[in-house]
Amino acid sequence: MSGAAIQIEGLTKVYQGEIGKPRVTGLKDLNCVVNAGEVYAFLGPNGAGKTTAIKCMTRLLRPTRGRIQILGRDGRRRETMNRVGYLPEQPNLYGYLTGREFLDFIARLFSLSAKWRKQRIDSLMHRVGMADKASMLIRNYSRGMMQRLGLAQALINDPDVLILDEPMASLDPVGRKDFRDLILECKKEGKTVFFSSHILSDAELIADRVGIIKDGHLLREGNLHELISGQITSVEVTFQVDEIRLKALSVPAGNMIRQDPNIMIRLPGLDAVPGILEQIGQCGGRIISVIPQKKSLESYFMDELRR
Amino acid sequence: MRIRAVAVNTFRETIRNRVLLNILIFAIGMILLSLVIGDWSLYQQSRVIKDFGLSAMSIFGLLIAIFIGIRLMVQELEQRTIYVVASKPIHRWELLLGKYTGLSLTLAVNVLLMSLALGAAVWLMEGTPDWKLAPAIVLIYLEICLIVAFALFFSSFVSPTLAAIFTLAIFTIGHLSGFLRDYVEIYPDQGFHWLLRGIYYTAPNLEMLNLKMAVVGYLPTPPNALLWGLVYGISYTLLLLLLTMLIFERRDFK
Repeated sequence: MSGAAIQIEGLTKVYQGEIGKPRVTGLKDLNCVVNAGEVYAFLGPNGAGKTTAIKCMTRLLRPTRGRIQILGRDGRRRETMNRVGYLPEQPNLYGYLTGREFLDFIARLFSLSAKWRKQRIDSLMHRVGMADKASMLIRNYSRGMMQRLGLAQALINDPDVLILDEPMASLDPVGRKDFRDLILECKKEGKTVFFSSHILSDAELIADRVGIIKDGHLLREGNLHELISGQITSVEVTFQVDEIRLKALSVPAGNMIRQDPNIMIRLPGLDAVPGILEQIGQCGGRIISVIPQKKSLESYFMDELRR
Repeated sequence: MRIRAVAVNTFRETIRNRVLLNILIFAIGMILLSLVIGDWSLYQQSRVIKDFGLSAMSIFGLLIAIFIGIRLMVQELEQRTIYVVASKPIHRWELLLGKYTGLSLTLAVNVLLMSLALGAAVWLMEGTPDWKLAPAIVLIYLEICLIVAFALFFSSFVSPTLAAIFTLAIFTIGHLSGFLRDYVEIYPDQGFHWLLRGIYYTAPNLEMLNLKMAVVGYLPTPPNALLWGLVYGISYTLLLLLLTMLIFERRDFK
C-alpha cells in the first residue's frame, strides 16, 4: 500500500454553546496526512483537540468545515468505515453481553457471515489474550480487559486503517507493552495505525511519525527520528584511568561521576569529544564508551508547546 | 442485517434488565388481582376484571415504555457505548430504527405476557376466553409503541428527567385532547385558545387508540375503530420516528 491513508484538510470544529454560553472552538484549520502503512502518533496535552479530531474522523462529530479522506474516500460516508477500525478513549462496552456476544454483535454491523464471524472472534480473543474470558459478562471485566476487548472489536473487520484514541492510557506496564506489540503487529500486516496519546514514551517506541497538536491546530508534524535525532544535548564518555593520572585531565570535577572502576564525564556537545579522548589517551586511560545523548520526544514535545 | 443486529441487541439488553422484569411481575400480579377486586363487585365481576386488567396493562405498559425508552438512549449516550456502534458502517437512522424495533419487540413480549395473565383471569371467571378483548389489546400495544417513540424523540435532545416529564405529559394530553377541543369550542375568546388549539392539533389523540370501554361493554364500539386506530397510530409513530431520525442524524456525540 502506498500514498495517504488519512488526509485531513482545514478541519474545523466549533461546538455550539448552550444557552448563555459562548461557542467553543475544538479544532482550528487542522491539516494532517498519515501515510499508508505507518504508525502515526497524534500527541498533545489534554484539551488540545485530539479526541475531537478522532471523533470527526469516525463520524461521531460533524465537522464545521474541512475535509477528511480515509483511503481516498470521503470520511463522512458510511461505506468508508468498512475499512476502518476504531477504539474510543476508555471504551465502555455493553456490560450485559459476554465478550463473545459483543464481538458477534459488532461483526454483524459489518455484515460478516456466520462462519467468518466465529473464526474471527476466536482468533481475535486469542490475539488480545482474552480467549479464556470470552464467555464472561463484560460488566465483570477489569479496565485492562475492557481495553483489550475494545481493540478486538476495532480489528473485527480486519481494517486497513486503525484509529485508536489514547489506547494505552489506562493500562499497567505489562498491558502497555502488549498493546505496543499488537500495534507493531498490525503495522507488519500492512495496516495504518493512527493513535492519540499523551504517554510520550510509548509513542517514541512505536511511532514512525508524530503530529503535535495544541489549541486545535497542528504545531508540528514529521518523522519521529528526524524530529529528535541530530539534536544531541550532551555526550557521555566512560573510561578507566589511574587515580594519579586522573588529575592531569582538564575536566571540571562537577562534570565527573565515579562508578568504580569507571569514570563518566558528561560533555556539553560533540565538539569537546576529540579533545577529551586525546587527553584520556595521553594519560594511558582506556575508553569504555562514548554515548551521545539525544533529545527525547518528551523534551522536544515540551519545547514545541512552550513556543 | 445491521438493523436486525441492533434490534436483537436492544431486545437482549431490555430482557436482561432486572428492573423491567420487576415491573412486569408487578403488572401481572396487578392483573391477577383483578380476580379479587371483581369479587367485590355485585354481578359485574367479569366486567370489572376486564376493565381493571386492561387499565393495568395500559398503565404498566406506559411505565415500561418510558422506563426502557428513555433509559436505553440515555445510557447509550452517558456511558458512551454509542461511540463504538455509531462509528461502524451503519447509518444513524438504521441505528435508531434498530433500537426502536428492539424496544417494540420487548414491549410485544410484555403485552403478550400481560394478555395471557388477563386471559387466564377471564377464563377462570367465565370458563371461556374472551376474544373481544383482542382489538383493545392491539391498540394498547400500539399506544405504548407510540409512547416509546416519544420517549426516544425527547431523549434525543433533552435531559432524561425532562424527557420522562414530557413523555408523561404527552400521554396525559393525548387522553384529554377531546376535552381540549371542547374547551376551545365552548370558550373561543380565551387569550390562550391558540395555544390549546396548537396542542390539540400536534399532540396525539390517544383516545383513538382506546377501545377499553367499548370492548368491556360500557360504550358502543365505533365502526372500524380498530382499523382507524391502526392507521392513526402507525402513521403518527412513523412520522415521529422520521423526525427523531432527522435530529439523530445531525447530533454530535461529544
